[in-house]
Amino acid sequence: MNTAQQTARVGLFFLLGLALTWVTWETLSDGKLFKQTGYTLIAGFENLKELKQGDEVRMAGVKIGSIEKTRLAGRRAEAVLRIDPGVKIASDATATIVMAGLIGTNYVGLDLGTPGAPSLVDGAELRTKITPDINTIMAEIGNLGQKLEGALNSITSSVSGDGKSPGLFQKIDLLVTQNSEKIGTTMSNLQDITTKLKDGEGTLGKLINDPKLHDELLATVAEIKSAAADAKVFVTDTQGIIAQVKAGKGTLGALLYDEESAASIKVTVKNLRDVSDKIARGEGTLGKLLNDDSLYLGVQSTLKKADRAIDGLGDSGPITAVGVAASVLF
Amino acid sequence: MKQLTNILEGFGSAVQLLVQSCRYAGTLPRQRARFIEQCYLIGYTTLPIVAILCFFMGSVLALQAGYSMENFGAKQFIGSLVGLSFARELGPVIVAILLAGRVGSAITAELASMKVYQEVDALVTMNIPPARMLVLPRLAAVLVMMPVLAIIGNLIGWFGGAVVSKYVQSIAIEPEAYFAALRRYMKFKDVGTGLMKAEIFGFVVVLICCSIGLSTRGGPREIGASVTRAVVASLISILVLDYFVTKALM
Repeated sequence: MNTAQQTARVGLFFLLGLALTWVTWETLSDGKLFKQTGYTLIAGFENLKELKQGDEVRMAGVKIGSIEKTRLAGRRAEAVLRIDPGVKIASDATATIVMAGLIGTNYVGLDLGTPGAPSLVDGAELRTKITPDINTIMAEIGNLGQKLEGALNSITSSVSGDGKSPGLFQKIDLLVTQNSEKIGTTMSNLQDITTKLKDGEGTLGKLINDPKLHDELLATVAEIKSAAADAKVFVTDTQGIIAQVKAGKGTLGALLYDEESAASIKVTVKNLRDVSDKIARGEGTLGKLLNDDSLYLGVQSTLKKADRAIDGLGDSGPITAVGVAASVLF
Repeated sequence: MKQLTNILEGFGSAVQLLVQSCRYAGTLPRQRARFIEQCYLIGYTTLPIVAILCFFMGSVLALQAGYSMENFGAKQFIGSLVGLSFARELGPVIVAILLAGRVGSAITAELASMKVYQEVDALVTMNIPPARMLVLPRLAAVLVMMPVLAIIGNLIGWFGGAVVSKYVQSIAIEPEAYFAALRRYMKFKDVGTGLMKAEIFGFVVVLICCSIGLSTRGGPREIGASVTRAVVASLISILVLDYFVTKALM
């Protein structure tokens, strides 16, 4: 092989190595060797958890960018998100750190925001929301486990006893042991009752075994249903009446809910009270009539006089009647 | 004690050779033909064996990872495991070991035979320093070729892992998922770290092999002993350096 061929092969080999290095760089650095496409947004969090440079940014599950870098900014941690060009992020979209796996794989998830909201521009800050991570969840589960264990211990001690006082099972055992004779009697009675029921004895036994009694019971129930239906109609009517009364309709409604009527009634009552007061004081004709004896005596005297006059008129009646007729005719 | 003295002597002669070679660094453009020849030997002719070995190393790594990770449902991370393992560790070490076995042994054998047959003495007599003519082009060539070999070895290893992940029934991961996992957990810094390690390993291997070759004494039988010594010393140096370089680059 001559030197020229050797040189060419070495050169080609070296260029191949350079090209492969460049391809690897482009692949692993998301094509950021020469250009930075898209725009950046800032997302501030209290804790970035396992979020690191190169992690994905997804909107509604679709990858729209990546974490360019993470940094501390005062009392909070910031993630700089590089968003792909052409992707619009609504100004009210909220960023959260989402756990994609149990081994520390996280990404930043963005919601869609509202449709009419303006889009964020380069360097703008996103709204963020804190979500519990696996450590928080595990701590909560640990607390829950402790509570559960405490509850189970309480149940166990109450059921089995705690050494000082007997548990539920010991109490039941003692109760059964001490009352075994009574329990036996009770069981015997129960057996007698069930035997009677089975044989159709007694009211309940007949009810269970006698079809006639069953039919009568059904008829009674039907009557009760009918009565209940009537009562329902009555209640409905009553409700209608009450509704009308509440609406101020009818005499009773006007009486209860019409303010004008109420005012008139008040005036009437007041007038009645005035009249009764006057009567009580003996004012007016009726008052005097009721309270003044002289009027009564006067009337009595007058009536006596009238009685006598009528008696007198009875004697001269025919003459007078003729006189009256003549004066009419002539 | 004598062994320790021999080790220290070998270390010292290697450093001395390096210093001498650096002194003649300015003469490299005039040794272009030798430089190209060494690049050809170190890089171009080593590529096939690097490719074969890296492909199967990547395949075996994916196979073992798939077998192990299947037990706890983490098969989707095979790409990350193979990618990171190859880029940071296996690629540079395998390429350096191959270099020691194939190129290092050849360099030691060549220089040892030149030394034994007094060709080196002849060069010295003609006022041509061996460090300038025999060592400098090799060191320069390995500096240029090692990253190229390492990056090709990495990519072929990743490819081998992807092939096994797709076609082995118990793993059955599509190449898209394999490379997505590889990209998700890797940065170019990992690859760059591996290339730097390969550069250091290759340089040390060639320096050791040149040093041992030029320090050969005695007859032709010593040539074989020098080659064995050079390969063993290179392998030990690679593994010892690997720990310290990895620690330093973390």
